Amino acid sequence: MQHILVTGASRGLGLSIVQHLLAKGNVVIGCARSKGELKHENYHHFEADVANEEQVQELFIKIRKTFKYIDVLINNAGVARMNAFALTPFKNMRETIDVNYAGTFMCSQKAISLLRKSANPRIINMSTVAVPMNLQGEAAYAASKSAVESLTRIIAKELSSFNITCNAIGPSPIATDLIRGVSDDKIARLVEQQSIQKMAQPEDVLNLVDFFIQPQSKMITGQVIYLGGIS
Amino acid sequence: MTHDEIQALILSAIELTNQSREDLEQVPVSPDTALFGAQGHLDSMGLVALLIDIEDMLQDQDIHISLSDERAMSAANSPFKNVASLVAHISHLLERE
Repeated sequence: MQHILVTGASRGLGLSIVQHLLAKGNVVIGCARSKGELKHENYHHFEADVANEEQVQELFIKIRKTFKYIDVLINNAGVARMNAFALTPFKNMRETIDVNYAGTFMCSQKAISLLRKSANPRIINMSTVAVPMNLQGEAAYAASKSAVESLTRIIAKELSSFNITCNAIGPSPIATDLIRGVSDDKIARLVEQQSIQKMAQPEDVLNLVDFFIQPQSKMITGQVIYLGGIS
Repeated sequence: MTHDEIQALILSAIELTNQSREDLEQVPVSPDTALFGAQGHLDSMGLVALLIDIEDMLQDQDIHISLSDERAMSAANSPFKNVASLVAHISHLLERE
């Protein structure tokens, strides 16, 4: 049984990850800006905005007091707003960077001391195929996730002496809230560019989560794995 | 916390750090110890480990401060240069709390 912290846990992919990890017998600590509606004896929900430094600090103080350590941090919280670069309001760009990059940065930093107490400490970040595909209409989103990828590789180097691995998952399009506003045509054109021309399922991400978490993956760090054969 | 209490906590953290270091890499447990930079006993990751241990010990006393500082890697005025500068840094952070 591991202690696993999942940010952005209340819906979409985050909720799927939480349910999957609970089904495997783990203690899951979820955080989201909203209240957690999931009821499970091993699920503990905290309300926090990962883009807010004070709230992140409070979150980790509470986790430390309650759980003493964590084995895995999954930086899943993210926002995505598609828009043409020329039409993207500065405020939206700022929020995207704050949640996707700064949130991942702060949570990873605060988690170090809790992860050090684990035998198999892991950080898993979320990227996207929008980074290698340089997708039009995703200037803010793809750039924020590109920053997450750089962060992933640098954390992997800097925290290796603590045996903490840090990897990222880059999902191809999955039917979640994150792409709710994207037209079917556009999604179809994206999928056509993949080696495996199918929409991904949450299970495809869960498979990678399991892979990175397992103790045998101790030599795998600084990697970004994309779904669908994008490289 | 008084100056002496902060210093004692830092020295305890050094003792803790030494437990995971090789015999030849032991850091002297002394108020005069140079920690980081010229003549320092710690590399950057050794320093990070020490600072995390100190933050942990402070949190055990319900003191929640971050020791991160933009001058961390500065050769001239890093607050992590030696035990004395680290005591002053923590003391300053506690006063601001």
